[in-house]
Amino acid sequence: MSNAIETRAVQRRMNKAFEIRDLALNVPSGSIYGFLGPNGSGKTTTIRLLLGLLRSSQGSIALLGRSVPADMPHILARTGFVPERPHLYAGLTIGEAVRYHSAFYSAWDAERAESLRRQFRLDPSQRVGRLSKGETGKLLVLLALAQNPDLLVLDEPTDGLDPVVRRDVLSALLDYVSQCGATVFISSHLVHELERFCDWVGVMDDGRLVAEMPMGTFKNGIKRLRVLDGPAVVDDAPFTLLAREPSDGVSAGEIWVVRDWQASMSQYFERVGASLREVVDLDLEEGFVELLRTFRSPNA
Amino acid sequence: MFREILRTQWKWSTIGVVVGAVVAFALPLMTVQGAGTADARWIEVRQLLDDQRSWAQWYPLLALAVGLLVGTSAWTNDHRVRHVYALTLPLPRWRFVLLRYGAGLVLLVAPMLALAVGAGVAASAATVPSGLHAYPVALSIRFALAVVVAYSIFFAISSGTTRTAGYVLSVVGAVVVVQLLFRVSGGSTNLLTAIFDRMVTWPGPFEIFSGRWMLIDV
Repeated sequence: MSNAIETRAVQRRMNKAFEIRDLALNVPSGSIYGFLGPNGSGKTTTIRLLLGLLRSSQGSIALLGRSVPADMPHILARTGFVPERPHLYAGLTIGEAVRYHSAFYSAWDAERAESLRRQFRLDPSQRVGRLSKGETGKLLVLLALAQNPDLLVLDEPTDGLDPVVRRDVLSALLDYVSQCGATVFISSHLVHELERFCDWVGVMDDGRLVAEMPMGTFKNGIKRLRVLDGPAVVDDAPFTLLAREPSDGVSAGEIWVVRDWQASMSQYFERVGASLREVVDLDLEEGFVELLRTFRSPNA
Repeated sequence: MFREILRTQWKWSTIGVVVGAVVAFALPLMTVQGAGTADARWIEVRQLLDDQRSWAQWYPLLALAVGLLVGTSAWTNDHRVRHVYALTLPLPRWRFVLLRYGAGLVLLVAPMLALAVGAGVAASAATVPSGLHAYPVALSIRFALAVVVAYSIFFAISSGTTRTAGYVLSVVGAVVVVQLLFRVSGGSTNLLTAIFDRMVTWPGPFEIFSGRWMLIDV
Protein backbone atom coordinates (compact mmCIF):
# COMPACT_ATOMS: atom_id res chain seq x y z
CA MET A 1 0.00 0.00 0.00
CA SER A 2 1.46 3.38 -0.96
CA ASN A 3 1.41 6.31 1.40
CA ALA A 4 -0.45 9.53 0.70
CA ILE A 5 1.72 11.28 3.28
CA GLU A 6 5.22 10.21 4.13
CA THR A 7 7.70 12.10 6.27
CA ARG A 8 11.20 11.02 7.18
CA ALA A 9 13.17 12.41 10.15
CA VAL A 10 11.52 15.80 9.88
CA GLN A 11 12.83 18.38 12.26
CA ARG A 12 11.77 21.96 12.89
CA ARG A 13 12.52 24.16 15.90
CA MET A 14 9.79 26.70 16.58
CA ASN A 15 11.26 28.35 19.68
CA LYS A 16 13.52 27.53 22.59
CA ALA A 17 10.88 25.40 24.25
CA PHE A 18 9.35 23.52 21.35
CA GLU A 19 10.45 21.61 18.30
CA ILE A 20 9.20 18.89 16.01
CA ARG A 21 11.66 16.01 16.26
CA ASP A 22 12.28 13.00 14.05
CA LEU A 23 8.80 13.03 12.63
CA ALA A 24 8.17 9.88 10.60
CA LEU A 25 4.55 9.79 9.48
CA ASN A 26 3.14 7.13 7.17
CA VAL A 27 -0.43 7.84 6.13
CA PRO A 28 -1.68 5.01 3.87
CA SER A 29 -3.52 6.05 0.71
CA GLY A 30 -7.27 5.77 1.12
CA SER A 31 -7.13 5.75 4.90
CA ILE A 32 -8.81 8.06 7.37
CA TYR A 33 -5.94 8.94 9.61
CA GLY A 34 -6.69 10.48 12.99
CA PHE A 35 -3.87 12.72 14.15
CA LEU A 36 -4.27 12.93 17.89
CA GLY A 37 -2.50 14.92 20.52
CA PRO A 38 -3.12 17.33 23.35
CA ASN A 39 -3.14 21.07 22.72
CA GLY A 40 0.37 22.29 21.96
CA SER A 41 1.67 18.84 21.01
CA GLY A 42 2.63 19.92 17.48
CA LYS A 43 -0.35 18.88 15.38
CA THR A 44 -0.86 22.24 13.67
CA THR A 45 2.88 22.74 13.22
CA THR A 46 3.06 19.34 11.55
CA ILE A 47 0.22 20.27 9.21
CA ARG A 48 1.94 23.55 8.35
CA LEU A 49 5.06 21.56 7.52
CA LEU A 50 3.07 19.13 5.36
CA LEU A 51 1.50 21.96 3.37
CA GLY A 52 4.73 23.87 2.86
CA LEU A 53 3.64 26.75 5.09
CA LEU A 54 6.73 26.06 7.18
CA ARG A 55 10.06 24.69 6.01
CA SER A 56 11.60 21.78 7.84
CA SER A 57 15.21 22.22 8.89
CA GLN A 58 15.90 18.51 8.29
CA GLY A 59 14.24 15.49 6.78
CA SER A 60 11.95 14.94 3.82
CA ILE A 61 8.22 15.27 3.27
CA ALA A 62 6.19 13.78 0.42
CA LEU A 63 2.47 14.19 -0.23
CA LEU A 64 0.71 12.17 -2.94
CA GLY A 65 4.09 10.94 -4.12
CA ARG A 66 5.47 14.45 -4.65
CA SER A 67 8.07 16.32 -2.72
CA VAL A 68 7.33 19.21 -0.35
CA PRO A 69 8.00 22.08 -0.93
CA ALA A 70 9.33 21.61 -4.49
CA ASP A 71 6.04 20.38 -5.98
CA MET A 72 3.64 22.40 -3.85
CA PRO A 73 1.37 23.73 -6.65
CA HIS A 74 0.77 20.15 -7.91
CA ILE A 75 0.20 18.88 -4.38
CA LEU A 76 -2.14 21.71 -3.43
CA ALA A 77 -4.18 21.22 -6.61
CA ARG A 78 -5.10 17.76 -5.27
CA THR A 79 -5.30 18.62 -1.57
CA GLY A 80 -8.25 20.07 0.30
CA PHE A 81 -7.27 21.98 3.40
CA VAL A 82 -9.41 23.05 6.33
CA PRO A 83 -7.28 25.12 8.70
CA GLU A 84 -7.77 25.47 12.42
CA ARG A 85 -8.35 29.20 12.07
CA PRO A 86 -10.44 30.43 9.13
CA HIS A 87 -8.25 31.78 6.35
CA LEU A 88 -10.83 33.17 3.92
CA TYR A 89 -11.23 36.83 2.98
CA ALA A 90 -13.76 38.28 5.40
CA GLY A 91 -15.04 40.96 3.01
CA LEU A 92 -16.33 38.51 0.41
CA THR A 93 -19.79 36.98 0.45
CA ILE A 94 -20.13 33.20 0.50
CA GLY A 95 -21.00 33.25 -3.21
CA GLU A 96 -17.95 35.35 -4.01
CA ALA A 97 -15.68 33.20 -1.85
CA VAL A 98 -16.87 30.05 -3.62
CA ARG A 99 -16.42 31.61 -7.07
CA TYR A 100 -12.98 32.96 -6.16
CA HIS A 101 -11.83 29.61 -4.75
CA SER A 102 -13.19 27.64 -7.70
CA ALA A 103 -11.09 29.67 -10.15
CA PHE A 104 -7.90 28.04 -8.86
CA TYR A 105 -8.96 24.40 -9.18
CA SER A 106 -9.30 22.66 -12.53
CA ALA A 107 -11.14 19.72 -10.93
CA TRP A 108 -13.70 21.99 -9.23
CA ASP A 109 -17.08 20.30 -8.88
CA ALA A 110 -19.68 23.09 -9.10
CA GLU A 111 -22.55 20.65 -8.58
CA ARG A 112 -21.07 19.31 -5.38
CA ALA A 113 -20.40 22.87 -4.19
CA GLU A 114 -24.02 23.87 -4.77
CA SER A 115 -25.37 20.69 -3.24
CA LEU A 116 -23.22 21.15 -0.13
CA ARG A 117 -24.25 24.81 0.08
CA ARG A 118 -27.89 23.75 0.17
CA GLN A 119 -27.20 20.90 2.56
CA PHE A 120 -25.34 23.27 4.91
CA ARG A 121 -27.99 25.98 4.45
CA LEU A 122 -25.42 28.65 3.62
CA ASP A 123 -26.78 31.92 2.21
CA PRO A 124 -24.59 32.96 -0.75
CA SER A 125 -25.18 36.65 -0.07
CA GLN A 126 -23.90 36.49 3.49
CA ARG A 127 -20.48 37.95 4.21
CA VAL A 128 -17.77 35.50 5.28
CA GLY A 129 -16.70 37.82 8.09
CA ARG A 130 -20.17 37.72 9.62
CA LEU A 131 -20.58 33.95 9.66
CA SER A 132 -20.86 32.04 12.90
CA LYS A 133 -18.16 29.55 13.78
CA GLY A 134 -20.36 26.68 12.60
CA GLU A 135 -21.16 28.35 9.28
CA THR A 136 -17.49 29.15 8.71
CA GLY A 137 -16.59 25.52 9.40
CA LYS A 138 -19.22 24.37 6.90
CA LEU A 139 -17.98 26.80 4.25
CA LEU A 140 -14.39 25.63 4.69
CA VAL A 141 -15.44 22.00 4.32
CA LEU A 142 -17.56 22.88 1.28
CA LEU A 143 -14.58 24.55 -0.42
CA ALA A 144 -12.27 21.66 0.44
CA LEU A 145 -14.66 18.97 -0.85
CA ALA A 146 -15.79 20.77 -4.02
CA GLN A 147 -12.23 20.93 -5.31
CA ASN A 148 -12.36 17.13 -5.66
CA PRO A 149 -9.21 16.41 -3.68
CA ASP A 150 -7.32 13.14 -3.43
CA LEU A 151 -6.12 14.17 0.01
CA LEU A 152 -7.96 16.11 2.70
CA VAL A 153 -5.94 17.75 5.45
CA LEU A 154 -8.21 18.89 8.23
CA ASP A 155 -6.88 20.74 11.24
CA GLU A 156 -9.37 20.45 14.10
CA PRO A 157 -12.29 20.91 11.68
CA THR A 158 -14.98 20.42 14.30
CA ASP A 159 -13.34 22.19 17.22
CA GLY A 160 -15.82 24.51 18.88
CA LEU A 161 -18.76 23.43 16.73
CA ASP A 162 -22.07 22.41 18.25
CA PRO A 163 -23.05 18.73 17.94
CA VAL A 164 -25.52 19.32 15.07
CA VAL A 165 -23.02 21.20 12.92
CA ARG A 166 -20.32 18.69 13.82
CA ARG A 167 -22.51 15.86 12.63
CA ASP A 168 -23.31 17.70 9.38
CA VAL A 169 -19.64 18.37 8.68
CA LEU A 170 -18.47 14.86 9.49
CA SER A 171 -21.22 13.20 7.48
CA ALA A 172 -20.35 15.37 4.44
CA LEU A 173 -16.72 14.32 4.83
CA LEU A 174 -17.59 10.64 5.12
CA ASP A 175 -19.93 10.82 2.12
CA TYR A 176 -17.12 12.29 0.05
CA VAL A 177 -14.61 9.70 1.19
CA SER A 178 -16.98 6.82 0.49
CA GLN A 179 -17.68 8.17 -3.01
CA CYS A 180 -14.16 9.21 -4.01
CA GLY A 181 -11.86 7.09 -1.84
CA ALA A 182 -9.76 10.08 -0.82
CA THR A 183 -7.22 9.98 1.99
CA VAL A 184 -8.17 12.00 5.05
CA PHE A 185 -5.66 13.35 7.52
CA ILE A 186 -7.64 14.80 10.39
CA SER A 187 -6.15 16.31 13.51
CA SER A 188 -8.11 16.62 16.70
CA HIS A 189 -7.85 16.51 20.43
CA LEU A 190 -11.44 15.23 20.58
CA VAL A 191 -10.45 11.60 20.81
CA HIS A 192 -13.91 10.05 20.98
CA GLU A 193 -14.87 11.79 17.75
CA LEU A 194 -12.10 10.17 15.73
CA GLU A 195 -12.72 6.78 17.26
CA ARG A 196 -15.89 6.36 15.23
CA PHE A 197 -14.49 6.64 11.74
CA CYS A 198 -10.68 6.67 11.63
CA ASP A 199 -8.91 3.51 10.52
CA TRP A 200 -5.43 4.71 11.38
CA VAL A 201 -4.23 6.75 14.29
CA GLY A 202 -1.08 8.74 15.03
CA VAL A 203 -0.44 10.28 18.42
CA MET A 204 1.71 13.38 18.91
CA ASP A 205 3.08 14.65 22.17
CA ASP A 206 5.68 17.32 22.80
CA GLY A 207 6.66 17.52 19.13
CA ARG A 208 7.15 13.78 18.68
CA LEU A 209 5.11 11.04 17.13
CA VAL A 210 4.46 8.76 20.08
CA ALA A 211 2.55 6.04 18.25
CA GLU A 212 1.21 5.23 14.80
CA MET A 213 -0.89 2.17 14.13
CA PRO A 214 -4.19 0.91 12.74
CA MET A 215 -7.10 2.02 14.89
CA GLY A 216 -8.10 -1.59 15.56
CA THR A 217 -4.68 -2.42 16.96
CA PHE A 218 -4.69 0.70 19.07
CA LYS A 219 -8.13 0.07 20.53
CA ASN A 220 -7.83 -3.65 21.04
CA GLY A 221 -4.25 -3.71 22.20
CA ILE A 222 -4.66 -1.52 25.26
CA LYS A 223 -6.48 -3.16 28.19
CA ARG A 224 -7.08 -2.55 31.86
CA LEU A 225 -6.48 -5.70 33.92
CA ARG A 226 -7.44 -6.45 37.51
CA VAL A 227 -4.62 -8.56 38.97
CA LEU A 228 -4.51 -10.25 42.36
CA ASP A 229 -1.14 -11.05 43.98
CA GLY A 230 0.84 -9.62 41.05
CA PRO A 231 4.64 -9.99 41.11
CA ALA A 232 6.69 -7.09 42.49
CA VAL A 233 8.82 -6.96 39.36
CA VAL A 234 7.42 -7.46 35.89
CA ASP A 235 10.29 -8.17 33.54
CA ASP A 236 9.37 -11.09 31.32
CA ALA A 237 5.76 -10.29 30.49
CA PRO A 238 4.66 -10.88 26.88
CA PHE A 239 2.78 -7.55 26.95
CA THR A 240 3.92 -3.99 27.69
CA LEU A 241 2.96 -2.72 31.11
CA LEU A 242 1.98 0.92 30.75
CA ALA A 243 0.78 1.63 34.27
CA ARG A 244 0.27 -0.18 37.56
CA GLU A 245 -1.97 1.23 40.24
CA PRO A 246 -3.11 -0.01 43.63
CA SER A 247 -6.63 -1.23 44.19
CA ASP A 248 -9.39 1.28 43.55
CA GLY A 249 -11.02 0.31 46.84
CA VAL A 250 -14.10 -1.12 45.17
CA SER A 251 -12.64 -4.45 44.15
CA ALA A 252 -9.60 -6.33 45.33
CA GLY A 253 -6.41 -6.39 43.26
CA GLU A 254 -4.19 -3.97 41.39
CA ILE A 255 -5.09 -2.20 38.18
CA TRP A 256 -2.67 -2.82 35.35
CA VAL A 257 -2.84 -0.95 32.07
CA VAL A 258 -1.15 -2.99 29.35
CA ARG A 259 -0.43 -2.67 25.66
CA ASP A 260 -0.17 -5.35 22.92
CA TRP A 261 -2.53 -7.58 24.89
CA GLN A 262 -3.82 -10.92 23.54
CA ALA A 263 -6.13 -13.38 25.31
CA SER A 264 -3.50 -16.13 25.40
CA MET A 265 -1.28 -13.95 27.56
CA SER A 266 -3.46 -14.66 30.61
CA GLN A 267 -1.25 -17.75 31.16
CA TYR A 268 1.53 -15.42 32.22
CA PHE A 269 -0.31 -14.67 35.45
CA GLU A 270 -0.64 -18.36 36.34
CA ARG A 271 3.05 -18.76 35.68
CA VAL A 272 4.04 -15.99 38.11
CA GLY A 273 1.52 -17.08 40.76
CA ALA A 274 -0.86 -14.20 40.23
CA SER A 275 -4.52 -14.22 39.40
CA LEU A 276 -6.11 -12.31 36.53
CA ARG A 277 -9.62 -11.33 37.65
CA GLU A 278 -10.83 -9.03 34.91
CA VAL A 279 -9.88 -7.74 31.44
CA VAL A 280 -11.49 -4.44 30.47
CA ASP A 281 -11.38 -2.91 26.98
CA LEU A 282 -10.33 0.72 27.03
CA ASP A 283 -11.93 3.11 24.62
CA LEU A 284 -9.68 5.26 22.46
CA GLU A 285 -9.71 8.16 24.88
CA GLU A 286 -8.62 6.04 27.81
CA GLY A 287 -5.99 4.34 25.69
CA PHE A 288 -4.79 7.72 24.48
CA VAL A 289 -4.49 9.05 28.01
CA GLU A 290 -2.60 5.97 29.18
CA LEU A 291 -0.29 6.12 26.18
CA LEU A 292 0.59 9.74 26.87
CA ARG A 293 1.04 9.05 30.56
CA THR A 294 3.56 6.32 29.78
CA PHE A 295 5.33 8.44 27.22
CA ARG A 296 5.72 11.35 29.59
CA SER A 297 6.93 9.23 32.55
CA PRO A 298 8.24 5.96 31.08
CA ASN A 299 9.24 4.58 34.47
CA ALA A 300 5.86 5.11 36.13
CA MET B 1 -8.25 33.05 -12.33
CA PHE B 2 -7.14 36.56 -13.24
CA ARG B 3 -10.76 37.66 -13.59
CA GLU B 4 -11.56 36.50 -10.05
CA ILE B 5 -8.47 38.17 -8.63
CA LEU B 6 -9.43 41.33 -10.50
CA ARG B 7 -12.96 41.10 -9.13
CA THR B 8 -11.78 40.83 -5.52
CA GLN B 9 -9.22 43.56 -6.04
CA TRP B 10 -11.96 45.82 -7.41
CA LYS B 11 -14.09 45.10 -4.37
CA TRP B 12 -11.28 46.06 -2.02
CA SER B 13 -10.19 49.22 -3.82
CA THR B 14 -13.42 50.56 -5.31
CA ILE B 15 -13.32 53.79 -3.30
CA GLY B 16 -9.70 54.54 -4.17
CA VAL B 17 -10.25 53.88 -7.86
CA VAL B 18 -13.56 55.73 -8.20
CA VAL B 19 -12.56 58.78 -6.17
CA GLY B 20 -9.16 58.79 -7.89
CA ALA B 21 -10.81 58.71 -11.31
CA VAL B 22 -13.26 61.52 -10.46
CA VAL B 23 -10.52 63.75 -9.07
CA ALA B 24 -8.20 62.87 -11.97
CA PHE B 25 -10.90 63.95 -14.43
CA ALA B 26 -11.74 67.15 -12.56
CA LEU B 27 -8.21 68.33 -11.80
CA PRO B 28 -7.19 69.43 -15.33
CA LEU B 29 -10.55 71.17 -15.78
CA MET B 30 -10.00 73.13 -12.59
CA THR B 31 -6.54 74.22 -13.66
CA VAL B 32 -7.88 76.01 -16.75
CA GLN B 33 -10.61 77.90 -14.89
CA GLY B 34 -10.14 81.55 -15.78
CA ALA B 35 -7.68 80.87 -18.58
CA GLY B 36 -7.03 84.04 -20.58
CA THR B 37 -7.83 85.05 -24.12
CA ALA B 38 -5.74 84.34 -27.19
CA ASP B 39 -4.35 87.88 -27.17
CA ALA B 40 -3.78 88.08 -23.42
CA ARG B 41 -1.36 90.63 -22.06
CA TRP B 42 1.97 89.61 -20.63
CA ILE B 43 0.76 90.03 -17.08
CA GLU B 44 -2.24 87.76 -17.72
CA VAL B 45 0.00 85.10 -19.27
CA ARG B 46 2.22 85.28 -16.23
CA GLN B 47 -0.82 84.94 -13.98
CA LEU B 48 -2.00 81.89 -15.95
CA LEU B 49 1.39 80.20 -15.59
CA ASP B 50 1.45 80.92 -11.87
CA ASP B 51 -2.02 79.37 -11.56
CA GLN B 52 -0.86 76.33 -13.52
CA ARG B 53 2.17 76.00 -11.26
CA SER B 54 0.07 76.19 -8.11
CA TRP B 55 -2.18 73.40 -9.40
CA ALA B 56 0.75 71.34 -10.63
CA GLN B 57 1.63 69.94 -7.18
CA TRP B 58 -1.72 68.15 -6.99
CA TYR B 59 -1.01 65.81 -9.90
CA PRO B 60 1.89 63.89 -8.30
CA LEU B 61 0.05 63.94 -4.97
CA LEU B 62 -2.98 62.38 -6.64
CA ALA B 63 -0.78 59.79 -8.35
CA LEU B 64 0.80 58.93 -4.98
CA ALA B 65 -2.57 58.70 -3.24
CA VAL B 66 -4.13 56.46 -5.89
CA GLY B 67 -1.02 54.24 -6.02
CA LEU B 68 -1.00 54.05 -2.22
CA LEU B 69 -4.68 53.11 -1.93
CA VAL B 70 -4.68 50.45 -4.63
CA GLY B 71 -1.21 49.11 -3.74
CA THR B 72 -1.92 48.63 -0.05
CA SER B 73 -5.47 47.34 -0.51
CA ALA B 74 -4.06 44.52 -2.64
CA TRP B 75 -2.58 42.85 0.45
CA THR B 76 -4.67 44.03 3.40
CA ASN B 77 -6.96 41.00 3.35
CA ASP B 78 -4.05 38.58 3.01
CA HIS B 79 -2.29 40.15 5.98
CA ARG B 80 -5.42 39.60 8.07
CA VAL B 81 -5.26 35.86 7.47
CA ARG B 82 -1.45 35.75 7.60
CA HIS B 83 -1.28 34.85 3.91
CA VAL B 84 -2.36 31.28 4.72
CA TYR B 85 -5.09 31.32 2.07
CA ALA B 86 -2.84 32.61 -0.69
CA LEU B 87 -0.08 30.18 0.25
CA THR B 88 -2.40 27.18 0.11
CA LEU B 89 -3.71 27.97 -3.36
CA PRO B 90 -2.30 25.71 -6.07
CA LEU B 91 -0.10 28.15 -7.91
CA PRO B 92 3.45 29.37 -7.40
CA ARG B 93 3.76 32.36 -5.15
CA TRP B 94 5.43 34.49 -7.83
CA ARG B 95 2.50 33.87 -10.17
CA PHE B 96 -0.03 34.86 -7.53
CA VAL B 97 1.91 38.06 -6.87
CA LEU B 98 2.05 38.85 -10.59
CA LEU B 99 -1.70 38.26 -10.97
CA ARG B 100 -2.39 40.54 -8.02
CA TYR B 101 -0.03 43.18 -9.40
CA GLY B 102 -1.61 42.93 -12.85
CA ALA B 103 -5.12 43.23 -11.42
CA GLY B 104 -4.15 46.44 -9.63
CA LEU B 105 -2.64 47.84 -12.81
CA VAL B 106 -5.82 47.12 -14.74
CA LEU B 107 -7.86 49.01 -12.14
CA LEU B 108 -5.48 51.95 -12.28
CA VAL B 109 -6.26 52.40 -15.95
CA ALA B 110 -9.49 54.13 -14.81
CA PRO B 111 -7.85 57.14 -13.09
CA MET B 112 -5.20 57.26 -15.82
CA LEU B 113 -7.85 57.43 -18.55
CA ALA B 114 -9.94 59.87 -16.52
CA LEU B 115 -7.01 62.26 -16.32
CA ALA B 116 -6.29 61.85 -20.01
CA VAL B 117 -9.91 62.63 -20.90
CA GLY B 118 -10.06 65.52 -18.41
CA ALA B 119 -6.81 66.96 -19.73
CA GLY B 120 -8.03 66.59 -23.32
CA VAL B 121 -11.33 68.31 -22.57
CA ALA B 122 -9.62 71.06 -20.58
CA ALA B 123 -7.04 71.68 -23.30
CA SER B 124 -9.65 71.91 -26.01
CA ALA B 125 -12.01 74.06 -23.96
CA ALA B 126 -9.45 76.58 -22.76
CA THR B 127 -8.21 79.44 -24.86
CA VAL B 128 -4.44 79.19 -24.68
CA PRO B 129 -2.69 82.58 -25.08
CA SER B 130 -0.21 82.83 -27.91
CA GLY B 131 3.26 81.75 -26.88
CA LEU B 132 1.87 79.07 -24.55
CA HIS B 133 0.93 75.50 -25.38
CA ALA B 134 -1.32 72.81 -23.89
CA TYR B 135 0.30 69.44 -23.16
CA PRO B 136 -2.54 67.05 -22.37
CA VAL B 137 -0.78 63.96 -23.76
CA ALA B 138 2.50 64.61 -21.96
CA LEU B 139 0.66 65.31 -18.71
CA SER B 140 -1.40 62.13 -19.07
CA ILE B 141 1.67 59.98 -19.76
CA ARG B 142 3.52 61.56 -16.86
CA PHE B 143 0.55 60.93 -14.56
CA ALA B 144 0.22 57.31 -15.73
CA LEU B 145 3.91 56.64 -15.11
CA ALA B 146 3.76 58.28 -11.69
CA VAL B 147 0.72 56.17 -10.76
CA VAL B 148 2.52 52.99 -11.87
CA VAL B 149 5.65 53.91 -9.90
CA ALA B 150 3.66 54.79 -6.76
CA TYR B 151 1.53 51.66 -7.08
CA SER B 152 4.57 49.42 -7.61
CA ILE B 153 6.40 50.81 -4.61
CA PHE B 154 3.44 50.59 -2.24
CA PHE B 155 2.46 47.18 -3.62
CA ALA B 156 5.97 45.89 -2.90
CA ILE B 157 6.13 47.45 0.57
CA SER B 158 2.70 46.23 1.62
CA SER B 159 3.31 42.71 0.33
CA GLY B 160 6.01 42.30 2.95
CA THR B 161 5.53 40.93 6.41
CA THR B 162 5.74 42.89 9.65
CA ARG B 163 9.35 41.74 9.81
CA THR B 164 10.06 43.31 6.42
CA ALA B 165 8.45 46.56 7.58
CA GLY B 166 10.71 46.35 10.62
CA TYR B 167 13.77 46.05 8.40
CA VAL B 168 12.71 49.07 6.32
CA LEU B 169 12.08 51.16 9.43
CA SER B 170 15.42 50.02 10.89
CA VAL B 171 17.24 51.22 7.78
CA VAL B 172 15.44 54.59 7.94
CA GLY B 173 16.21 54.83 11.66
CA ALA B 174 19.87 53.98 11.05
CA VAL B 175 20.14 56.74 8.44
CA VAL B 176 18.65 59.27 10.88
CA VAL B 177 21.03 58.15 13.65
CA VAL B 178 24.05 58.42 11.32
CA GLN B 179 22.89 61.91 10.31
CA LEU B 180 22.63 62.91 13.97
CA LEU B 181 26.12 61.55 14.66
CA PHE B 182 27.47 63.56 11.72
CA ARG B 183 25.89 66.70 13.12
CA VAL B 184 27.15 66.10 16.66
CA SER B 185 30.68 65.51 15.38
CA GLY B 186 30.54 68.82 13.50
CA GLY B 187 30.36 67.29 10.02
CA SER B 188 28.74 69.29 7.26
CA THR B 189 27.37 66.35 5.24
CA ASN B 190 23.59 66.30 5.10
CA LEU B 191 22.84 62.64 4.51
CA LEU B 192 19.06 62.99 4.50
CA THR B 193 19.09 65.75 1.89
CA ALA B 194 21.56 63.80 -0.22
CA ILE B 195 19.40 60.67 -0.14
CA PHE B 196 16.25 62.67 -0.88
CA ASP B 197 17.95 64.35 -3.85
CA ARG B 198 19.09 60.97 -5.16
CA MET B 199 15.55 59.65 -4.92
CA VAL B 200 13.83 62.52 -6.73
CA THR B 201 16.41 63.18 -9.44
CA TRP B 202 17.25 60.91 -12.35
CA PRO B 203 17.77 57.91 -12.05
CA GLY B 204 16.03 57.90 -8.65
CA PRO B 205 12.70 56.04 -8.44
CA PHE B 206 10.75 59.20 -7.55
CA GLU B 207 12.09 61.39 -10.33
CA ILE B 208 8.77 61.20 -12.08
CA PHE B 209 7.13 63.06 -9.18
CA SER B 210 9.36 66.13 -9.49
CA GLY B 211 9.60 68.53 -12.41
CA ARG B 212 6.88 70.47 -14.19
CA TRP B 213 3.35 69.06 -14.10
CA MET B 214 1.68 71.77 -16.16
CA LEU B 215 -1.20 71.35 -18.56
CA ILE B 216 -0.46 74.74 -20.10
CA ASP B 217 3.16 75.74 -20.32
CA VAL B 218 5.54 77.69 -22.49
